[in-house]
Amino acid sequence: MEDAIRLAGDILNSHLEEWRRAGGRIVGYTCVATPREIMDAAGILPYRIRALGKPERELADAYLSRFNCGFCRACLQLGLDGTYDFLDGLVENNGCDHLRGMFEDWQYAKDPAFFHYLRVPHTVSEEALEFFAEELELFREALGRHFQVDISDASLAEAMERSNRTREKLRELFSLREGERPALTGRQAMAVILLESSLPPAVFEDYLARFLEESERNEVRGYRARLLLAGSATDELALVGEIEDVGGLVVSDALCYGTRAFWNLPRLAGDPIHALAEAYLKHLLCPRMFDDYATRLDYVLRTARRARVDGAVLVHNKFCDLHGVENVRLRLDLEEAGIPVLVLEKEYGSGADLGRIRTRIQAFLERIGG
Amino acid sequence: MRFGGIDVGSLTAQAVVVENGRITGSKSIGVRPNPVESAETVLGMLLSELGLRHQDISYIVSTGYGREQVQAKGLAHANVSEISCHGVGAVWLLPGVRTIIDIGGQDAKVIRMDASGELKDFVMNDKCAAGTGRFLEVMCRTLGITLDELGTLSLKARNPVGLSSRCSIFCETEVLHYLQRGTDKADIAASVNRAMAERVAALARRVGVEPEVTMSGGVAKNGAVKSELERILGVRMVPCPVDPQIVGALGAAVLARKMGGER
Ligand code: SF4
Repeated sequence: MEDAIRLAGDILNSHLEEWRRAGGRIVGYTCVATPREIMDAAGILPYRIRALGKPERELADAYLSRFNCGFCRACLQLGLDGTYDFLDGLVENNGCDHLRGMFEDWQYAKDPAFFHYLRVPHTVSEEALEFFAEELELFREALGRHFQVDISDASLAEAMERSNRTREKLRELFSLREGERPALTGRQAMAVILLESSLPPAVFEDYLARFLEESERNEVRGYRARLLLAGSATDELALVGEIEDVGGLVVSDALCYGTRAFWNLPRLAGDPIHALAEAYLKHLLCPRMFDDYATRLDYVLRTARRARVDGAVLVHNKFCDLHGVENVRLRLDLEEAGIPVLVLEKEYGSGADLGRIRTRIQAFLERIGG
Repeated sequence: MRFGGIDVGSLTAQAVVVENGRITGSKSIGVRPNPVESAETVLGMLLSELGLRHQDISYIVSTGYGREQVQAKGLAHANVSEISCHGVGAVWLLPGVRTIIDIGGQDAKVIRMDASGELKDFVMNDKCAAGTGRFLEVMCRTLGITLDELGTLSLKARNPVGLSSRCSIFCETEVLHYLQRGTDKADIAASVNRAMAERVAALARRVGVEPEVTMSGGVAKNGAVKSELERILGVRMVPCPVDPQIVGALGAAVLARKMGGER
C-alpha cells in the first residue's frame, strides 16, 4: 500500500510514461462531472488534474489573482511550468469560476492542441439532462475528430462495463475502510482515488485487486477518533497525513477526490450517452449544483452514520465561496444531528499552515473526547 | 503532589507549578530560538526560584507551539493543545467563565467551555496576522510607541480615525498616511485598538459569546482592546485574577494534575 501512496504522489507516474512510450494519449480534466468513459472508449487515458498540495504559484499569479482558490492557482502553475506538458489535451468545464479561470488562462498561455469546453448544467431536470446528453455527444465528436478515432456505442458500452467493475471494487474497498476495524487509513484511501484517475484504467484494475486483497488482512490501530473529511477539492495527501498523525483516523469522506467520485454512481447500462448523462448529472454532489443542498446533506449524514464517525472535519480553500458557504450550513446541520464539526479554512498546500491545522485538529479531538 | 505546565508561544514562554489546588509559582520569558530551549529555560528558572528539581514535579503537560517537541525531549509527560489549556486554565481561575478570548502573539482564539469545564467549541484565526498581537506590534513600531503605551495613549483619544482595512500591511500604510497628515497619535492608537477588537469580535461571533467572558494572552493587558471588545460584543469581561499570559501554562498544569492522577 505504501508503494501506492508513493506512486500517487507523482504527477507523472511511471505507468503514464510507459503509456506514452507506447503511443498512448492522455487528456486532462478536473471536475468529477466529466464522464471518463468517453475518453476511455476512445483509447485515451483520462487524467484528473491535481496539484498534490504543491505550494509554488509565481507563474500562475501572473494570470489568476491572489483572491482565487489556491488549488486552481497551483494547478495552473503546473500547467504553465511544463509539469503537465505530457497531456495531449484539456477538458474544461464550468465547475466554478476559479476553475474556469484556471483552464482559460492555461489555454491562453499554452494553446494546447486539443481543448474542449464541456458545459455541465447547474440543475437536474428533463431539459437539463437532454442538454447534457447533447453536450456529451459534442464531446464524443470533438474527441473523435481531433484524435481520429471512432468512438462507437460498443466501445462506450465496454468502457462503461469497466467503470461498473471498478466502482464496485472501490465500494468494497471503501467499505473495509469504514468498517469496525478500518483496513486502510484516510491517506491511503485518498491515494487510491488519486491513482484511479491517473493510471491507465486496466492497470488500475490490477492495483485495485491487490489493494482489496491486502486490505482484507489489514487493520489500522492506535487512533483517537474516527473522522469524516468533507469539503472542497482536496488532493493534499499531506493534509490527511497531518490529521491522522495527531490521532484522527479519516474513516470516510465526502470529497470529490474521494467517495463523491464514485460511491453513489449507478450501474451504467442502456443507451451509453443517456446513461452517462443521467449518472453524472443526477449524482453530482457538489455545491455548484443549485437547489440540491438536501441531497448533499443527506449524503454526508448517511456517510457519517455508516462509518460511525465521532466527528466531521469540513475543509475549504480560502476564497472558495461554494464550499465556504456550504460548510457553514453543513456545520449547523451536522451539529444538530449530533455530529461534532470542525470547519477548517485553509491556504491550499501551505506548509506554513500545517502547524495551526494540527493545533485545531488536536483541540477538536480533545473536544470530542478522543 | 506538584504538577507543572509549560506553554511555549510565538513570542513568550511560561511555566506554572500548582500544588494542593494553588499556584505555587509562575514564570514568563521571551522565547529563545527554539521551543525546547525556551521550555528548558523557563522551567529551569521557575524551579530554581522555587528551590525544586525536575523530578519534584509529578507530572508535566506542555502546550503551545512546539508542545510536541517539548514532550519528545522528555521535558513533559504529555502535550495538550493550547486551545484546551487556555479554556481549562480560565475556568479553574473563574469557574463561571464560559467564553475565553485569547489573543497571543500570532494567534487569536475564542474558546467556549461548558458548565462541566469541558471544551465545547472554538475558533482560531487563520494564517493572517491581523487580529493578533503581531498586528499591534507592527502598528506600535510604525507609531514609534511601546505596546504598553498603545493601551494608555488610546484613552486620550478625542477623534479616532477610520482605518478601512483589517489587513496588517494595508493598515500600516494607512497609519503612516495619518502620521504624515499630523493626526494625533492618540487618535490613531485608538483606531488601531478598535480595528483589532473588530477583527476578534468577528471571530467570536462565529462560535457565539456566552457569559461570563474573560480574556487571556498578552493582548488582554491592553485595556483599550478589552473595552472595545466589551462595547462591540455587549458584554463585560471578568478580569483575569492572574497575569493573563500564564493562563495557558496554568491550564496545562491543571490538566497535568488530572492526567497525572492526583487522588
Ligand atoms: S475548491 Fe472551490 S474554488 Fe477551488 S475548484 Fe473547488 S469549488 Fe472551485
